[in-house]
Amino acid sequence: MSVFDRITGACAALSAAAFVAAGAMLTYEVVARYFFTAPTIWAAELSQLCLIWGSLLAMPWALAARRHIAVDAVVGLLPGSARRVTEAIAMAVVAAFAAVAAWYGWAIFADSFSRGRTTGSMLDLPSWIAELAVPLGFGLLVVQALIELVRALRAEAPPPATGLHE
Amino acid sequence: MTIVLILGALFALLLIRVPVAFALGGLGLGLLLIGGFSPLMAPQAVLSTLDGFILLAVPLFLLMSNVLLKGGVGGDLFAAVHAWVGHWPGGLAVATILSCGIFAAISGSSVATAATIGTVAIPEMIARGYDKRFVYGLLAAGGTLGILIPPSIPMIVYGFITEESVIALFLAGIGPGLALVVLFVLFAMVHARLTGQHSPEPAAGWAERRRASLRAAPSLALAALIIGGIYSGAFTPTEAAAIGFAAALVITTVVLRRLTWQGFREAAMEAMATTVAILLIVAGAKVFGKAITLYRIPQEISVFIGQTIDTPLAFILVVSAVLLLMGLVFEALSMVLIMTPVLLPAAMGLGFDPIWFGIYMVVMVECALITPPVGLNLYVIQAVARASLADVSRGVLPFLALMLATVALLYMIPDLALYIPFQL
Repeated sequence: MSVFDRITGACAALSAAAFVAAGAMLTYEVVARYFFTAPTIWAAELSQLCLIWGSLLAMPWALAARRHIAVDAVVGLLPGSARRVTEAIAMAVVAAFAAVAAWYGWAIFADSFSRGRTTGSMLDLPSWIAELAVPLGFGLLVVQALIELVRALRAEAPPPATGLHE
Repeated sequence: MTIVLILGALFALLLIRVPVAFALGGLGLGLLLIGGFSPLMAPQAVLSTLDGFILLAVPLFLLMSNVLLKGGVGGDLFAAVHAWVGHWPGGLAVATILSCGIFAAISGSSVATAATIGTVAIPEMIARGYDKRFVYGLLAAGGTLGILIPPSIPMIVYGFITEESVIALFLAGIGPGLALVVLFVLFAMVHARLTGQHSPEPAAGWAERRRASLRAAPSLALAALIIGGIYSGAFTPTEAAAIGFAAALVITTVVLRRLTWQGFREAAMEAMATTVAILLIVAGAKVFGKAITLYRIPQEISVFIGQTIDTPLAFILVVSAVLLLMGLVFEALSMVLIMTPVLLPAAMGLGFDPIWFGIYMVVMVECALITPPVGLNLYVIQAVARASLADVSRGVLPFLALMLATVALLYMIPDLALYIPFQL
């Protein structure tokens, strides 16, 4: 397992923990509201941050684990060599999109950071806390997509698709 | 012309297996750049999607159903229902459908429903001499109840992109969901009478019924808590999901004492993986939707449909045919996300209620889940039962007909969906 695999694996575990934490905070919020009539000002906002960071940080792991939803029907009919070519093209498309998204995501983050913009909500957190997740998540995704591209060209068998989604 | 080019590019990307999320997002971003619009809109659309409070319900409902799955709640539910209806003609099949319906009320996902009930019901039905194709079809179709009976992840997503009330959608799903349960049950009983392939069972004693019902009671209470809480306005769907997750943990660790630390970690990872896959598609669709709106595509399609199709019936027939065809190769949620922004303006122009249209889309998506070659529920049943895709696919056909009959019923009697949210 490469160093990068370890990083994305750790990110995925963090994401799972973030979603569990969101559940805990929102449960606390409801209990506090109904039983102590003391709603929090932080539960909704912090759990939303968990959703943003959790979803974006786990993108590269999901790409490597073949957990993103894709249309397999047509590619499945192709012979192995043609499938490697389409796989390489697909990963190049992902890398290109992720690079552009990371670039402009960074622009949004940098702008908020230098201007000291805040969310204007109850907690009034700096806006960049949420916005940083975009360049970071998509930046990691670029690296992962390039790794998958090389794997496809070298004809290393991709891990079997295991994901079942809604 | 632009429309054809854009749709052609989208299908090309999807068919070479670019993940749906990145195909939509990438094409949307490309269109923004080509059209001279600000590309900053793409990361902004991703952020504003994930900043939606209602979408927080997705990971929480998934956590809840995965915890219940790992806690073996499916077996309890099935045993309890079976104790009550097992001696009916086709009793095991009836118990299976009812269990799917009940689990659907604590799960927003059809895959989770098919997997949870399938694991316990398939071996028992085969052992009792039911035709295996019938069994596979029953479970694949019964699982789709998971997204029609609230809570439902596709309804959350539909509500998010159309800015309609998720609560109204949830309530509107109850009527058609129950109708489908009744149709499936009637079919199972008729099938049992006509084929006589199964061995009849004796009725369970009262002691057995009491014991089985008690074990299933916590799950039933959880279903009642979630639907009741949302219906009464005590909590939002997102809060209901959080409470449901917490309650599922209590049920599986304290009451049933079956959830291990390992099982919990697996449930959390599974819920995370599905969440990421779903929410990124929603974000990608948001980028794509923004771009095609700037190109005025939905508006043009709406005008085109308005000029060529002038009756609601013709519209529904054409749209149903298109969705059935798409459903052969497309995964369910992607279909909702790609087609809703394109179709809803035209549907509303013809006088369809947006909540009704959402329920209609969900039933059509259920069909997509069980039509080969690409149908997630087929894969689940194939994996659970170690069956061939051909057997599962053939078994599904009568149930597909029943689902299309439900669509017809929904069209003729819109109140089947709309009575509970708007009249009750």
